[in-house]
Amino acid sequence: MSVNITIDGTLIKVDEGTTILEAARLHDINIPTLCYLKEVNEIGACKMCVVEVEGMDHLTTSCNTIARDGMVIHTASDRVIKSRKQMLNLLLANHDVRCFSCAKSGSCSLQDLSNEYGITESIYEGNEAKIPAKTENPFLTYYPELCINCQRCVSTCHKVAGNGVLHNAKIGTRTLIDAPFGPDWKETECESCGNCAQACPTGALIAKNKKKYQPGRTEKVLTTCPHCATGCQYYLIVKDNVIVDVEPANGPSNKGMLCVKGRFGSFNFVHSPERMKYPLIKGSDGEFRQASWEEAMELIASKFMDIKSEYGPDALAGFACSRSTNEDIYMFQKMVRCAFGTNNVDNCARVCHSASVHGLAMTLGSGAMTNPIEDITGDVDVIMLVGSNPEEAHPVVGMQIRQAVARGTRLIVVDPRDIGLSKQADIHLKLKPGTNVAFANGMMNVIINEGLVDEEFIRTRTEGYEELKEIVMEYTPEKVAEICHIDPDHLREAALMYAKADKAPIIYCLGVTEHSTGTEGVMSMSNLAMMVGKLGRSGCGVNPLRGQNNVQGACDMGAMPGHFPGYQKITDEAVMEKFEKAWGTTLNKKPGTYATDVFGAAIKKDIRGLFIFGEDPIVTDADQHHVRKALDSLDFLVVDDLFMTETARLADVVLPGISYAEKEGTFSNTERRVQRVRKAVTLDGEMRADTVIFTDLMNRMGYKQPRLHPDEIMDEIASVTPSFAGISHSRLDRMKDGLQWPCTDKKHPGTPIMHVGRFTRGLGWFYPARYIESAELPDDEYPFILMTGRILYHYNTRAMTGKTPGLMEREGHSFIEVNIADAVRLGIENGDLVRVISRRGSLTTTARVGDKVSECETWMPFHFPDGNANVLTNAALDKYARIPEYKVCAVRLQKIEHTDNYDEWSDEWPSPDNLQ
Amino acid sequence: MYYQPTVSRNEMNEKTMRFLERFVKRVKGNPPGVCPISVQLSFLQSARSQTCGKCVPCRDGLAQVESMMRNILDGKAGMSTLNDMVELCHIIEDTADCAIGYEAARIVLESVDLFKDEYLSHINHHICLPEVGQKIPCVSYCPAHVDIPNYIALIGEHRYADAINCIRLDNPFPTACAFICEHPCEEKCRRDILDSPVNIRGLKKFAVDQISADQVKVPECNVTTGKKIAVIGGGPSGLTTAYYLSLMGHKVVVFEEKEKLGGMLRYGIPNYRLPKDRLDQDISAILSTGNIEVRCNVSVPDDVMMEEIDREYDAVYFSIGAQHGRKVEVPGAHADGVYSAVDVLNEIGCGNIPDYTGKRVVVVGGGNVAMDASRSAIRCNADEVTVIYRRRQVDMTALPSEIQGAIEEGVELLTLNAPRAVEVDEDNKVIGFRMQPQIISAYRAGKPTVTDAKEDTRVHPCDIILMAVGQEIYSEPFAEYDVNPKRKSFDTEPTTRLKTHKKYFAGGDCVFGPSTVIKAIGAGKVAAINIDDYLGYHHKILGSIDYPVPKENDRTHIGRVHLTDRSARERKHSFDPVENGMSYDEAMQECRKCLRCDHYGCGVVEGGRV
Repeated sequence: MSVNITIDGTLIKVDEGTTILEAARLHDINIPTLCYLKEVNEIGACKMCVVEVEGMDHLTTSCNTIARDGMVIHTASDRVIKSRKQMLNLLLANHDVRCFSCAKSGSCSLQDLSNEYGITESIYEGNEAKIPAKTENPFLTYYPELCINCQRCVSTCHKVAGNGVLHNAKIGTRTLIDAPFGPDWKETECESCGNCAQACPTGALIAKNKKKYQPGRTEKVLTTCPHCATGCQYYLIVKDNVIVDVEPANGPSNKGMLCVKGRFGSFNFVHSPERMKYPLIKGSDGEFRQASWEEAMELIASKFMDIKSEYGPDALAGFACSRSTNEDIYMFQKMVRCAFGTNNVDNCARVCHSASVHGLAMTLGSGAMTNPIEDITGDVDVIMLVGSNPEEAHPVVGMQIRQAVARGTRLIVVDPRDIGLSKQADIHLKLKPGTNVAFANGMMNVIINEGLVDEEFIRTRTEGYEELKEIVMEYTPEKVAEICHIDPDHLREAALMYAKADKAPIIYCLGVTEHSTGTEGVMSMSNLAMMVGKLGRSGCGVNPLRGQNNVQGACDMGAMPGHFPGYQKITDEAVMEKFEKAWGTTLNKKPGTYATDVFGAAIKKDIRGLFIFGEDPIVTDADQHHVRKALDSLDFLVVDDLFMTETARLADVVLPGISYAEKEGTFSNTERRVQRVRKAVTLDGEMRADTVIFTDLMNRMGYKQPRLHPDEIMDEIASVTPSFAGISHSRLDRMKDGLQWPCTDKKHPGTPIMHVGRFTRGLGWFYPARYIESAELPDDEYPFILMTGRILYHYNTRAMTGKTPGLMEREGHSFIEVNIADAVRLGIENGDLVRVISRRGSLTTTARVGDKVSECETWMPFHFPDGNANVLTNAALDKYARIPEYKVCAVRLQKIEHTDNYDEWSDEWPSPDNLQ
Repeated sequence: MYYQPTVSRNEMNEKTMRFLERFVKRVKGNPPGVCPISVQLSFLQSARSQTCGKCVPCRDGLAQVESMMRNILDGKAGMSTLNDMVELCHIIEDTADCAIGYEAARIVLESVDLFKDEYLSHINHHICLPEVGQKIPCVSYCPAHVDIPNYIALIGEHRYADAINCIRLDNPFPTACAFICEHPCEEKCRRDILDSPVNIRGLKKFAVDQISADQVKVPECNVTTGKKIAVIGGGPSGLTTAYYLSLMGHKVVVFEEKEKLGGMLRYGIPNYRLPKDRLDQDISAILSTGNIEVRCNVSVPDDVMMEEIDREYDAVYFSIGAQHGRKVEVPGAHADGVYSAVDVLNEIGCGNIPDYTGKRVVVVGGGNVAMDASRSAIRCNADEVTVIYRRRQVDMTALPSEIQGAIEEGVELLTLNAPRAVEVDEDNKVIGFRMQPQIISAYRAGKPTVTDAKEDTRVHPCDIILMAVGQEIYSEPFAEYDVNPKRKSFDTEPTTRLKTHKKYFAGGDCVFGPSTVIKAIGAGKVAAINIDDYLGYHHKILGSIDYPVPKENDRTHIGRVHLTDRSARERKHSFDPVENGMSYDEAMQECRKCLRCDHYGCGVVEGGRV
């Protein structure tokens, strides 16, 4: 239905339900606004958008008045203009007009409108109370004297970020924003996401970064965030070849939102003085010395060639970087396959979502998220969140889940911890870590017994149901409740809620994968979804939230021991033939070694030369001592990185690569969406583009590889990868929302939802999984389960986030979460130092006592060197994906008594080394 | 010197008085959540405008107090300013000649004491207390926070079923409340600033008269949770809790010691005010959720022991009401013919209508129960019915419309008479009521008290005496569950959870004493949400409705549509409902009057709803 209206004499037809403002804007008729934010803040407060509607007695706010058929509207009559001018006079009277010192000058809506309406100074005197500014938050400031009380920030915090920490407050008759940026900012629930500051039309609530530049004198470069795999789109703001700020773009997965890491933690590291600028070679004295590229590359080539000729190509291996671009990773795996001559190439998905890649490939035929973020957080009835804490690990997805819950979507949280979202969950199954398979089997047991299986779907689209059913029938709710330490009623309810809902996605993360039975955990998720026919359609699916920005891409690009790009199996002869032809060389037919098995192989001297591109396994991989021993055992280790990481310290040659802000390319986000990464700055130093490094080494090792620009590399990827066949840089540059693979030709629109009508595998396979206990369970000696995970303010090793002082100020130290009952028993108080000991190592950290974790369970982040959880974790590996069991190991806790020498190291946080 | 006398037309004062009517309306329409200090400042400005200019303390002193108060209001002043202000007020009180001065100072002093926390917040933190901040008047004044503007809009669009479901999101008793809610929502209706409050209850009645509530499907329940909750007492609060818990997927068992559900709605409020068949419409809709088992004629703990309840249920909600009528303990109070009004109403609710033919009935008390009892006595064919009350008619707590209805039906009010004794004959049968005449006296706690007049007692001859002097909570069997020994009520947290018994919750009259049905309903919903939370859930109550787009304000001043009653002559002979509904035109006119404070006012702003 549409309505006909007349605006300023022009007859306009618009859809029913359109506001006058939207109608005008659709036809390029300018109506000014200050407080209006579409669908977020349509409160008609500032009255700048008033218009005259014939037949209505009073001026009308166009932002929240729906156009009705036959309306005759005047947007610029004398009455309207006069009224707008008066509004500006009133606002300016209480606005401290100090534009010269205001960071928003030049991009301030109040300033723009005052200029437009010719108001240089208010005709009124200010009469409102003066209130002090809130300045302590390192990222954000609130200046009440600049605030026009438009409510955009408050509405954004509540409706967009969904965090609800900004409030209105009063002092007498004046409204002010109670912004949690004061001295107690760290104690508030504010996530410093800065979406509020983005919404502010003036300089009242502002990001401190804005102070560093004037908007007119900068360049904006649209690119993709390098933190988690949400794939937020934003602009890097570049001033004189320095990135000074970030501004969100309205990307398909972030919709104009960003999190604290994306907004404030994604560029300081680029310009960090700690960046490596020259190749380094380690001398016989164990010290690094600066070297020329020629010398360094020649050394690497000769060492690797020596190993290859003496021990065979499979004595070499490479770890690709999941933070780097598709183009880098493609060239890296090509280098390992063509120049090293081995399939020993892997990436860090091995330690996060390899279980998803393997598991879903086995059951569905494709190891990726089935549905887009928008589709599973938009119009859905139930969200089942398993082992995922998106508010911290994928914050912008978390925000969209909060929005869904606020709109009435039911939420089932399955997680051993009280994550933030469990406070909003209809039901929280706080299960014992490592019992996901039992949980899923229990769910299916209820679904079968309640007659809720989708028989038609099972019959026409799947196989293996009967075998699974037989197993599942053993998993009665009571039995599962005992295994999982949950209430059987909760299990039954969750099963009914999930099965009966029309649209219900499963969203899961590392709580499912990082187990010695992680692949079976993943396959149990697909079993569950297939049983109720919730695959291959909108609002459903099995959706692993991938970890790193381009870990999806690293897998897609073939940085895997058994797969060429696009998951083409090296064991498939036709595929092998195709690649040998395309790459013009004979390839090694033997599947390679998984990254997590490389360490054992290194110790056994089966692998002697390793090229690590942008990874820091010493910090990130399970059982740190074991990893260190492995790297020490290598004959030759090369690290290509931005920083001198813990791993780089062990290298023989360290090469300085470049960051995402210095290169062209693409990232594939968690929803298989390929999006552009664009070069924003060129930095001083001898750093080289990583593709240049790989190309150089290929040539030096005897494989003729011409030097290609990233867009040419993508063309090569498309030529050998059917699922990327339709993707090119030029096409992506024309597309607003990137492209979701499979995208099989230049006209193919991409594939938002997978497995529609048919699984990639053909028939979906029900994998018959039985619950198997975690490899290391608590016992008398080590009575606690230790889980590990991420926190909002940091990403993995903090190589990037650690370079932003505000993030370190918010969370700079390691800690361990302990249940209050255990703490009481052990005499541990909140904030006490404790020693945590596992069979593999021990560390000292600070106890956070509460009820986030259950009794006999503990949790640590793995970001911090002052107590790196991976000293403790168990490298027990999954049989399919070889993923280590980060989420469960057994530890013992000891309270550290405050001793006299405490003061000696209380200034510097105690390092685990000097305590052991 | 000679002044020639003239006839003063006093035109200016009359105009001022006309203006003041608007002013008073405006002051009365003070929205919820306004900073109390800013209200006091405007009081002070009004007070100062009245100074005649003769005396220094009033003329100059009030001006100084005002400027100090403004500085405090704006968060600019320290403790010394407050101290100076208080000191000056004492001096003004001490020295001013007339009430314009000393009373202004006294009220300031009183209010400083009354709003001490707010003053300290302004002085120490330069911010109002967190509860300051405007709210939608009707929604926030409704104890159940029903979304009134939206259901009025739905009625205006003839979407009556949706209106009923909109009400049900917060209150499962749309019909009962349509008949007898005391409508605190109307108290602060912003429309009163223009003309008069929207007749909100009347509109609700119009809606439930267009489609009966049991014909409007309730939202679908969540899947079953397997949890079982006992509700002890099937009145409005208990049934509200049961309704929301059942929507959340919990199984609820309601224990009701009477034959039927409804509590005071059935057994306290006479049929002529709330017809039983209409109450049944709400109750059957509540039970239609399917998760509620009702066990009537079952008394806890007589028939079912608390041990059993404790063992078999995951949580318990006490909603036992305040059902026991009090009597005035005067000599003869236990004579034959003296009854508790509540008990008599209860009997009438059960269908046992007494025959008062030829009897003279006295009702003691001035609340709604007294009116219900006296009007019921008229319907039981009493010869004469007299309400005896120790204060004045204006002091009666009964709704003015109820008093008016009683008078119309022939009830006589005998005010300013305190009970002294029941006069009895040799068979201990009532023959009269002895009263002590009173005079109205000084204020205490904001209300004028009464004292004995220097007159002898009098006897009012009568055969029946109905005591309507309050109700008690019969909580003796539950004494160990946080029952306050003095008030006999359950001691609860604001969440309705008992202070020490963690799986027990209580709400309604058995917590705050005899009060309105909507308060009991409000508590019932709060209890349901908190019981769910206690059980470890955060179940959403779904059932969203597509609301109409708010229309622009109609600023024409329009009189309020009042509901009329059937003629007293006719209605007093039966227990048939007395109130007439609105016509369609009247209803639409009232709907148009809603100013949509939820849309045009603070309702669109964070924290601006309730």
